[in-house]
Amino acid sequence: MRTTSRALFSTLALTPLLAGCFVAGEQGSGSDAEGGSAGRLRVALAVPPVQALSPYSNDATVLSKLSVAEGLTALDKNGAAAPALAKSWTQTGPTTWTFELRKATFQDGTSVTAASVVNALDHADAAEPKPRVLSDVTLTAKVEDTDTVTISTKAADPVLPLRLASPALAILSGKAYGKDGTVSPVGTGTGPFEVTKLTGKSKAALDRYDGYWGGKAKASGIDVTWIADGTARANALRGGDVDIAEWIPTAQAKLLDDKTRHEVPSVRTDSLVLNTGSGLLTDPALRAAAREAVDGSALVDSVFGGYADPAQGLFGPAVPWAADKRVDVTGRAEAATTAQVKAGTKGKTLRLAAYTNRAELPETATVLQQQLEKAGFTVKQDVREYTQMEADLLAGKYDALVFSRVTLLDTGDAVAYLASDYTSNGVYNIAGLKDSKVDRAVKSAAEEADMTKRQQKTMAAEAEILRTDAVVPLVHEKVVQGIATDVEGVLLDPRERSLIDIDTHLK
Amino acid sequence: MSFTPVGTEARPSRWRAGLGRITAGAALLTAVALLPWLSGNDPALTVLRARSADQDPAPEQLAAVREQLGLDKGPFVHLAHWLGGLPRGDAGTSWVSGEEVLPQVTGAFAVSFTLMLGALVVTIAVSALVSARTLYLGSRRRLHRGRGTIGVAVLAALPKFLLASLLATVCGVWLGWLPSSGWEGPASMVLPALALGVPSGAMIGGLLDQSLPAAFNEPWARTWHAYGFAPGRVARHALRRTLAGVLPQLLPTVVGLVGGAVAVEKIFNIPGLGRLALDSAIAQDLPPLQTTTLALILLGVVAGLLIQALRRALLGPALRDGALPALHAPALSRGRLTRWAAAACALALLTLVTAGLLRDPLHVDTAARLLPPSAVHPLGTDALGRDLLARLGHGALRTVGVALVVTAVCTLTGLMLGTAAQVGAGLTEVVSTMPAVLAGLLTSAVTGPSAWGAALAVCLVGWTPYAAQAAALLEQERASGHMLASVSFGAGPGYLLRYHLLPAVLPSVLRNALLRLPTTVLVLASLGFLGLGEQPPTAEWGRLLSENQPYVELAPWTVLGPACALVLLSVLALSGTGAVAARRPASALTSGGRGAYKEGRIRAGRTEAESVA
Repeated sequence: MRTTSRALFSTLALTPLLAGCFVAGEQGSGSDAEGGSAGRLRVALAVPPVQALSPYSNDATVLSKLSVAEGLTALDKNGAAAPALAKSWTQTGPTTWTFELRKATFQDGTSVTAASVVNALDHADAAEPKPRVLSDVTLTAKVEDTDTVTISTKAADPVLPLRLASPALAILSGKAYGKDGTVSPVGTGTGPFEVTKLTGKSKAALDRYDGYWGGKAKASGIDVTWIADGTARANALRGGDVDIAEWIPTAQAKLLDDKTRHEVPSVRTDSLVLNTGSGLLTDPALRAAAREAVDGSALVDSVFGGYADPAQGLFGPAVPWAADKRVDVTGRAEAATTAQVKAGTKGKTLRLAAYTNRAELPETATVLQQQLEKAGFTVKQDVREYTQMEADLLAGKYDALVFSRVTLLDTGDAVAYLASDYTSNGVYNIAGLKDSKVDRAVKSAAEEADMTKRQQKTMAAEAEILRTDAVVPLVHEKVVQGIATDVEGVLLDPRERSLIDIDTHLK
Repeated sequence: MSFTPVGTEARPSRWRAGLGRITAGAALLTAVALLPWLSGNDPALTVLRARSADQDPAPEQLAAVREQLGLDKGPFVHLAHWLGGLPRGDAGTSWVSGEEVLPQVTGAFAVSFTLMLGALVVTIAVSALVSARTLYLGSRRRLHRGRGTIGVAVLAALPKFLLASLLATVCGVWLGWLPSSGWEGPASMVLPALALGVPSGAMIGGLLDQSLPAAFNEPWARTWHAYGFAPGRVARHALRRTLAGVLPQLLPTVVGLVGGAVAVEKIFNIPGLGRLALDSAIAQDLPPLQTTTLALILLGVVAGLLIQALRRALLGPALRDGALPALHAPALSRGRLTRWAAAACALALLTLVTAGLLRDPLHVDTAARLLPPSAVHPLGTDALGRDLLARLGHGALRTVGVALVVTAVCTLTGLMLGTAAQVGAGLTEVVSTMPAVLAGLLTSAVTGPSAWGAALAVCLVGWTPYAAQAAALLEQERASGHMLASVSFGAGPGYLLRYHLLPAVLPSVLRNALLRLPTTVLVLASLGFLGLGEQPPTAEWGRLLSENQPYVELAPWTVLGPACALVLLSVLALSGTGAVAARRPASALTSGGRGAYKEGRIRAGRTEAESVA
């Protein structure tokens, strides 16, 4: 008797508790029941929001991927600036540009004016810490008339229109900017989809915004689920829980149906960064020997399961202009022979670092270890989570690092990456490279205003950097996007900035 | 005579236990608060990374973060500020997102707690299945042969993350019975609860199964049976008698899952507390990490008190009055099967290791990627074309060696803390809900990446099951009549320890330790991403499993080999010791095992015990 009543009591006590825990989840998914199956897209994204979708954080790409917010400009297929909220622009002086705004409204009903644009850009400029895209420039925006904005920069900035396409510089309505520095894109963007509800780090619901200047979106809304685990993302697509799953890991890609598996060349290049500043590889002959020993093409079909291209240089096929303008590398150091390597290292081990955040990197490190050992090096791996080792990396505590790097940063401009990673005063210079020729080549590319010439000079700088053997490009990654067969119009963007736009819909 | 001393002792000891809890909790919270300053990893950098992965770590950006968070003020100002906010229900704002911490933590806690309850249900069901045979036969006095431990060993050795992957793939994707991920209703709870509960259930059931025969061997059970009491009633009371010793295991095994189920939470995309703790620990985002730690400490203490109350309710006045008879394990002849299984496992492992040692575990052959088992590669190859047999063989000694050392250290620590019951109880409750990864972070903050770091970290938290078990068994043993007799005959503490206390706890604790051996191997490997433990490409069983986990479906043999090796190890350890244990009392003593030995030494104790009972 006693046990029965006790069991009954505990059951009664637990029931509301259990019910309560799921409510949050059910409300989140409840919206898609309301919208019905009438064309709502279900998307699984990989990186959960870190700052409630603030454009000044990682989350900025979510806003552009799902067409929630727009900047003054956008990037076209070739990486050139294209009109967005600004319908045209002209450079009126060496440091000033004028942008003509189009007639558009924010999702809260207010219209896009020069004042709201200036307000948004001022907030981005004043954000602490500054968004990456503004880290090397200071811009001032001024209202010219209701639909004209003048933007001036302290120093000449030839890539300003590209810069303004960055998701971090999305134009949100005044309501979005809180007093405490927080920014909320919920219902404040200008895109064809409006965030209506954000449930923590796990779900978001988006509805179509009917007042979009570019017309009505074909899909009635988007239900976003964040699934950090790659296998779980692939499972969600295969189980029919979502229509689109981004970034399917290479180990899972083969399990997807041929028709749902879409590969895109990515602007991410994986390379072996060699420490030129301290340690074993300060000797150029040893670096050359390491470069000779390493064969990135062996990784393509093994570690990357075919979802990568052998490296051509720092910039891969996702940077369309790179291949034609590539400059041959000359003046490299003579590689040391195996015997010389053994003598030159004097029994010291080469500390090879790799991080676990991307599953392919530790595997790559193991393949490279064998290749390097064949060339006479003694290699010791150190594999950890990235944040656990970043301070050590920047301090030059490793001889080599297997590094996966986005080569077109949010400026969409290739020079920014070269400047931060390979110039003597670069803040992300893990290679510890201090080479006056490289510095000069990067500087001259950065100052070039003409796009074609800028690209040529960028490639010349690439050759200069490769000459030093500070970096050995291994592969250019491909991204596998999982898209169910009944979805049409998903954008396969190498820059991973767009995914769904007004034309994306269920068949 | 036993009423007065126990009565007066109870109050100060309760105070001491409370003090122990507060001290342990405070120490842990302080350690967490110091984490960023101990680790030498600039929190400004890790927070910046968490906010924006591609951000350049420019000095002015870091300075901006540092100023924003007030990092220059040092750890104690932050701790004081955070503690000051707690009474107002304000647990601060996250350093990364700037959002309120409390709603985040309570939300995640509710999710994890619900999942834990689901796992508890599964655990209870599985342990009931595991011990059903013994319970059935024992209550009908037909328990003549010991039970083979093979099934229990196999289930307990199943890695939870592997089970989770398997369930998600098979039931979620292939069959489509249940959602493969998410947290949207009771249906999405089934698979994760199974993945978490089945191994735990095998563990708890295994322990229960071991202690049940002793309960059925007690005089009352014989008497009741002779008087024709219903077997169900005998079974219920036998359970009541043995559950008291096993219940404390729920704390580290099941309640600990609230914060310690990161791998399963990831696989099923559950927004639980384990992931929250891990993410904030990696980003060194202190306010959520501290709040999570506090929540887990409180959970541990509350669950500990609850379990203690349950035990009191089960054993009742017998425990208080020092009137418990000692549990005598009967000399059951272990099944021949057990001995055969032990021999077969030993042989299989030996063959595996010998064959593996003759091969090269590090040779990468990218052309031979993920080859299925064949004559050239008897166990197949992994994603880099390395021979799995070779990797298993070369990893065996290191894996088993480290796991055994860690288990031994943990068992000893557990026994010592279990003996110091009042002080140990608080510490056990506080530590048993701590995820191993937190211990790993604290260890790596102090020692930096090191080969022995993983072992050290696991030793820091791994002793709790043994301490909880030892404390529970010792409490019962201390409450037994023959102890009282020994004391009144002038036996010193050394004598009591040697002849009463240790023999009472050792067999059960040893079995517990062996049941947990596979888990130890996996936990050791799970800390690799912090740079703790041997660095790759060194072969090690836990790493083999975790590095091949993504290939479960594409190339099942890559995890099958290591998983089987782990199962073999578990079966060997359990059935091997089972066989030895079964042989020893049979040859050394005539009947009654340890109990008879003791009774032979102290005859007065025996009469006293029987008169009290």
